Amino acid sequence: MFHKSQQEPGHPKSHCVRGLAQDFQSSMPSSSTPTAGNVLLASSRRRVLESTALGFGYLALRSLMGEPRAMGQDPTGPSTGVPLVSTGPHLRPRAKRIVFLFMKGGPSHIDTFDPKPSLTRDDGKPPPFELPRVVFAQQGNLLKSPWAFSQHGQSGLPVSELFPNVAKHIDKLCVLRSLHGSNPAHGGALLKMHTGSDQFVRPSMGAWITYGLGTENQDLPAFVTICPTLAHGGVNNWGSAFLPTYCQGTPIGNASQPAKQASVQHIVHPSLDRASQRKQLDLLAKMNEDFSKAYPNEASIAGQLGAFELAFRMQSSLPEIQDLQTETQSTLRLYGLDDPVTENFGRQCLMARRFLERGVRFVQVTHSDSEVQWDQHSDLYQGHTKNAAEVDKPIAGFLADLDQRGLLKDTLVLWGGEFGRTPTSQGNGRDHNPHGFCMWMAGGGVKGGFAYGATDEYGYYASEKKMHVHDLHATILHIMGLDHERLTYRYAGRDFRLTDVAGQVAHEILA
Amino acid sequence: MREYLRWTWLLSLSLVWTLLLGYGSQAQEAEGLEYFETKVRPILVEHCYECHSGMENQGGLRLDHRMGIERGGDSGPAFDSVRPSESLMLRAVGYQDSDLQMPPSGRLGDAQVAILEKWILSGAPDPRTNPGGGITEDLSDELGKPKGMSIQEGQSFWSMRPLGLVSIPTPAQSDWCRNPIDAFVLQALESKGLRPAPPASDGELLRRLSMDLIGLPPEPSEYRAFEQDTAPEAIDRQIDRLLSSPQYGIRYARHWLDVARYSDSNGLDENIAYGNAWRYRDYVVEAFNKDKPFDRFIEEQIAGDLLPDASLESRIATGYLVLGAKVLAEPDRDKLMMDTIDEQIDTIGKTFMGMTLGCARCHDHKFDPIKQRDYYALAAIFKGTKTFGDSNYGAIKHWNEISFATQEEKASLKSIEAQIAEKNGVWTKLKNEAIGKLRQRVKQQAADYLAIASTLTSEATLNEWQNAGQELGLHPRVLANCRRYLDNHRDTPLFEKWHAAAGLGDMAGIRAHYLALFERVELEWEKAKSTDPQIKRLEDPELEAARIALSDAGGFLAIPAKMEHALDDESLKQIHELAEVARVFESSAPDESSAMGVGDKGVVDGLAIHIRGSYRNLGEFVPRGFPSVMITPGTAPIFGRQASGRLELARWLASPSHPLVARVIVNRVWRWHFGRGLVETTENFGVLGDRPSHPELLDYLARWFIESGWSIKELNRLILSSASYRMSSVHPEPESALATDPENRLLWYFSPRRLEAEQLRDSILFASGGLDLRLGGKSVPLRNRQFVFDHTSIDHTKYDSARRTAYLPIIRNHLFSLLEQFDFPDPTMPVGSRNTSTVSLQMLVLINADWIVDSAHRLAERSEAYSSEAPGRIDWLFEEVLGRRPEPYERQRLLEYVMGDPDESSSRWEQVAHNLLVCSEFLYVP
Repeated sequence: MFHKSQQEPGHPKSHCVRGLAQDFQSSMPSSSTPTAGNVLLASSRRRVLESTALGFGYLALRSLMGEPRAMGQDPTGPSTGVPLVSTGPHLRPRAKRIVFLFMKGGPSHIDTFDPKPSLTRDDGKPPPFELPRVVFAQQGNLLKSPWAFSQHGQSGLPVSELFPNVAKHIDKLCVLRSLHGSNPAHGGALLKMHTGSDQFVRPSMGAWITYGLGTENQDLPAFVTICPTLAHGGVNNWGSAFLPTYCQGTPIGNASQPAKQASVQHIVHPSLDRASQRKQLDLLAKMNEDFSKAYPNEASIAGQLGAFELAFRMQSSLPEIQDLQTETQSTLRLYGLDDPVTENFGRQCLMARRFLERGVRFVQVTHSDSEVQWDQHSDLYQGHTKNAAEVDKPIAGFLADLDQRGLLKDTLVLWGGEFGRTPTSQGNGRDHNPHGFCMWMAGGGVKGGFAYGATDEYGYYASEKKMHVHDLHATILHIMGLDHERLTYRYAGRDFRLTDVAGQVAHEILA
Repeated sequence: MREYLRWTWLLSLSLVWTLLLGYGSQAQEAEGLEYFETKVRPILVEHCYECHSGMENQGGLRLDHRMGIERGGDSGPAFDSVRPSESLMLRAVGYQDSDLQMPPSGRLGDAQVAILEKWILSGAPDPRTNPGGGITEDLSDELGKPKGMSIQEGQSFWSMRPLGLVSIPTPAQSDWCRNPIDAFVLQALESKGLRPAPPASDGELLRRLSMDLIGLPPEPSEYRAFEQDTAPEAIDRQIDRLLSSPQYGIRYARHWLDVARYSDSNGLDENIAYGNAWRYRDYVVEAFNKDKPFDRFIEEQIAGDLLPDASLESRIATGYLVLGAKVLAEPDRDKLMMDTIDEQIDTIGKTFMGMTLGCARCHDHKFDPIKQRDYYALAAIFKGTKTFGDSNYGAIKHWNEISFATQEEKASLKSIEAQIAEKNGVWTKLKNEAIGKLRQRVKQQAADYLAIASTLTSEATLNEWQNAGQELGLHPRVLANCRRYLDNHRDTPLFEKWHAAAGLGDMAGIRAHYLALFERVELEWEKAKSTDPQIKRLEDPELEAARIALSDAGGFLAIPAKMEHALDDESLKQIHELAEVARVFESSAPDESSAMGVGDKGVVDGLAIHIRGSYRNLGEFVPRGFPSVMITPGTAPIFGRQASGRLELARWLASPSHPLVARVIVNRVWRWHFGRGLVETTENFGVLGDRPSHPELLDYLARWFIESGWSIKELNRLILSSASYRMSSVHPEPESALATDPENRLLWYFSPRRLEAEQLRDSILFASGGLDLRLGGKSVPLRNRQFVFDHTSIDHTKYDSARRTAYLPIIRNHLFSLLEQFDFPDPTMPVGSRNTSTVSLQMLVLINADWIVDSAHRLAERSEAYSSEAPGRIDWLFEEVLGRRPEPYERQRLLEYVMGDPDESSSRWEQVAHNLLVCSEFLYVP
């Protein structure tokens, strides 16, 4: 069984070294057992938490119980099965919640936010640089961007014609131009982006953040993902792996469904109305109370009661969020719900705002359809035009709406795909490029109108202030108030981190 | 060429440096050191120390003292004193080698690189002789590198000591003991002043045994028969009945399948069906049912193809090695190979030895006495093993399969393949025709599109375009695309006229101009064709540009790529229906008779250590072998010259002298019976794992198990016969025991357990009379290697079968909701100890899932058939579901509920039935 590791602030960062010191402590024989009273208290508290946390964040529950947010002090000792103490913020949080606008398939950085004049100049010529050792497929000559770039906002940062509406918000964006990853295939790259590992099943970043921070709303999951793709890593991209189950993302529909039909599985009874079900559950509660009285020391049995109650409440709280009737016409227009082209993604973004304002910690919105959406190996012009048209207005509306509601200042918005695309051609398209690509952030604690890092002059490799996916993760956690080296979980004899043994925070982008 | 220039430059530079320093060794040294202090040290401090100094020694490298640089890290010395120009440090900062680039955040400036080059080429003078702080920890070597346990220390670690003879203790209250297990348990309790709980009631015990051994509750008649059987051996008769039930194999196989990370799909990067995995699953069910000796079970799974008496059955067993999740689309095939070997080593380590061997891939194990040499000694054995097949689907590599199809079967499969292709051809043809027609129509109206495109802007919504083009029957998405295209191609000469006229709002002018132009194109093209049928282009540049634009599939008249955006509802409906026909046909088409399994690829008699786990950074060569801590000193394994070495590995694991294997499996069996192992960390018997709560008992059982001929059923019987297993789940005086042992590790009562996912579903279906108890056969509704999910994200997997849950598809990445919510383990890693969580999403399943609502309906109907009187119905329901009669107050409460709304009476009965099926009493085994 695993347990939350005990950590001391300021301990050196290599996980192995740290694990070494503490593990020899924690694996001491039981002669060092604390006094019986403490153990009883710890144990019963652990049992209460284990059974009544209802799956939505130990941290929140602990604060309800009036416990201090002491960091990394696990009163249950090393041998218990449940990590009682969520780490809680290690640092001053710059954002309380995060939304990831994920563009499945790999949008091209050099056609959106990272202009390359040299590419235009040398269009059609063979690449004057070495290609990576392992490439996904045969690559052609240099291919210039079919879109013109122009400068926008006070900052004058360039944006291509693909994003005319997002460009109006450029002064809110922090464009990260030096991202790089390690896997050139969709599956590996999606897993890397979402979990930090393209080889093993590991907890997703939403699960880590949920584990670290819990939730602000007891009636809702802490982590939801709206219309995620089931391909290329699927559930692993929002799964909790070895973290507790409550950390996993709750999917609202999937990429095969229009956002309008997306819902949480089993959220409605197939035939019974609400009032009747209320009566049924009241009866069930009485039956369960009898049983739990016979087992007064089994807190998990008592915990069933609360869990049923919360499930019942979720049946109204979740659909209520998805019901957009209370939104004004102008809001609906702002997100593009009046246009079939933007309706679907606009609805996803608007739902995201409604989740965020109700305290959901991590919301992912996936732009993916029945194709690999942004994956233009051919027909770059046509494909990217269509994709950008579907998301440009909704994203701009989302940013404006968050801003006007005062949410943007403590919400971190992250935009991007699993990789970028090559400056070299594949017919009239571009191949996958994990060696250099861009993403952008906005809101909570990052500099607006700011570009960080750079790719080389053609946009193939990240070259300046390189930001590996691990560095991105470290930075995101930092913005959320979590130290990526201290947010660890003991599993199979090792302290795991979202960033494995790497990751550096890009302090320069912080406002 | 660039490389050549670079080194020429470096050489000349070093020559200059040597000349400069050539006038005297002392001065030379002083100057060198000064150069270090003024130029080099600042660079090291600023760019390298963060990761390579003090306690930080990433890659095993420290750069904050001379010894660190000379000794270097895992990849070898940073500085090569013999050939300085080949020093690793130069390679790293040079950024020419994609596998070694430092600092990782970006290349240093040219000037800084030049300073380091100059320093290294001049012999790397360095005054820092004394390593800094942070390196004196006992568990680190002199350079601060952490080191795991030594082999010698490891051999005396509790789990790796040879199994000795254990004497059975004699506790005071020995009349409580039914067998030796109890003596160990009771002595531990007595030493803490604890008393065991009284025996469980008959009803309690029968339900516990039945759930434990076959995963189903007893039937009411079985309760009655047991109550009436007053013979002392009544319980043993029940145990025998349950152990000989074929349902036992299903329950026990599922335990093992958790450990073997069984799945019906790959589900890592690409989720394609393991359409033949079920043969391994059925093999495991059968193995447990016939109580296959566990040592043989080990040998078959690891080397079933190499055994002298290898059979189809034993070859199917090697599916164990192939079942893991793989990054099938990994373009770096060498990496894929080593990653897969890693998965195999890690799985075998955890499954059989309780060792996290995977930790030694990049470096010596940080805690356990497993060295990197041990890892690559094992890796060589698997490098000689064939885990992948020879075929692939695009970027997706196929795993190895053993075919046993006849020639006739192969021929009939060819015809099935052809039928699949034909059925797919039907709908794609229809689709292409529909798109072709649309393209033709759009082309004919090209001038109209250009004209109407000028009436709105790119900002217009699709509805607005729809209105604008309605009169002329224009396709709104094509129209919107057209306008966007024009905006993005302002400089294209062909559209200069359009932009000029659009600016003036001259729609009519646009139409007239382009209509005329396009007519001319057509005319000229016809004319040219009639003179030269081979003609490729028109002479007139304007006409030629127009001709190309008109036929450019991605041009101003582009048809939406997504079929759903291009075609009308009726065509789409037809195409979707035909595509579904093809899909269903393919999903249910027979697979080739084959099984997942390995073969020998060749002899790999050793491997070079992969430094930092990279196959591109090779170190010392290691001959194939087994972890040295687990072999008797001085007896290195001897491998056959002709084979991979898997057979030797299997036999070594299955030998009585292996210190870990028997301990690990008896602990698993204990876990399956009690809900917690004597060692809680069933996959980790290493330094970071749990220590056994009853170490002598564990060793006693391990030895006893080997003596029994490795019989799992004998071990079951021993444990089930103990008084320890037969205790009540309620202790009369829990307070003092809770204070001493709150986790019940010493077993002062029997901890009640929530049903596992399979027990839960099977019991609900069983109690409501809807469970199909048949064994075996393919149950995943997909053809082998078919995509579970392609990018459509449509889940075609159905879970509406009435069969036992062990036969529902296990789809990695997208488990059945019941399994997902009720702590089914991640089927990518060996798990011997499932969690029990309580989360609200579970309750959503319990109150709303169709299959539970249907079960409640069926149960309510059956109760009506049994009795038309309400009290009788309630009593019947209680007995069917909970195995007991209701208390009077319980009967009264349910009576009031069902009578509470006469209009909804049948619904109320269903609700009562539903509540019984999901109430805590049903969900927990006492």
